[in-house]
Amino acid sequence: MFQQILALIIIIFFLVRLFRQKKKQSVSGNEFLLWLIFWLLAAAAIIFLKPIDQLVKALGFSGAAINILLYITVLILIYLVFRLRLTIAKMEKNISTLNETIAIKKL
Amino acid sequence: MKISCVIPAYNEASHILAVVTQVRPFVNEIIVVDDCSKDDTARLAKNAGALVLHHVINRGQGAALRTGTAYALINGADIIIHFDADGQFSATEIPDLIRPILEKRAETVLGSRFLNKKSDLPWSKEHLIMPLARGINRLFFNIRLSDPQSGFRALSRDAASKIKIQNDGMAHCSEILYQLMAKKIKVQEVPITVTYNEYGQKFSGGLKIIKDLLIQKLIN
Repeated sequence: MFQQILALIIIIFFLVRLFRQKKKQSVSGNEFLLWLIFWLLAAAAIIFLKPIDQLVKALGFSGAAINILLYITVLILIYLVFRLRLTIAKMEKNISTLNETIAIKKL
Repeated sequence: MKISCVIPAYNEASHILAVVTQVRPFVNEIIVVDDCSKDDTARLAKNAGALVLHHVINRGQGAALRTGTAYALINGADIIIHFDADGQFSATEIPDLIRPILEKRAETVLGSRFLNKKSDLPWSKEHLIMPLARGINRLFFNIRLSDPQSGFRALSRDAASKIKIQNDGMAHCSEILYQLMAKKIKVQEVPITVTYNEYGQKFSGGLKIIKDLLIQKLIN
């Protein structure tokens, strides 16, 4: 119970930060929505840990719900890092295009 | 027939003057792309008679070649030569590279260190890194050329317009080969001699090239 409350406090902290960033317009609408859904799902998973535990057992998994949540979180994080890498690669491409345009126009 | 030579340069103050001077008799225009060097590369190249383009941010050899090639095309080049700034290539071999294009036998001519001329390649490069690179090129890109990483090449205007270098770093060599094959551009290899002042691309650099090519595939 104590761990669940602690996890919820952490999620609330991140949600407050997310709303502040949205207010300052430092995150785009889509990005805000993505993280909002992510944290709300995380909160829901923690609140409904026992029903998820039963569901996990019913599906035939041997681990506890918290373990399954951990695996899913790791997978989500891997996906997010991958997306980040692609975004950075695209940004680098744009920087190079700008660099090229400036070099040619300057002459 | 306008022949332009594109030389990407980053911190090459110790070689650029000699390189530009040696190349000048064989071409109509020398375009040095200064990739945001911290030394005197740009000034020395300009004094030697090259046209100097400045990158405001250092982006790598592939990006510099792209800038230089784009400028050469805008400026009406008929043949574009890619040449290194570190003095490892021999400018006297430029006529050998452009001859097949002039005689309409090829649209792109690639200098090869592994034909009948002998370059003083480091042992590990000749017997380990290059065979591995050749194997990867054959396996993944179906490229069957003797030199997988030569930076000395000549392109007809038509071929240079078709090739779009996407990789900013050293992966552009493999990328150009891949595009030449994919776009069915007529290619010929000619032997060249390379003098190694430094070791150049290391094994770790080779791994980075593979990584860059994979990322490039994903974002396109």
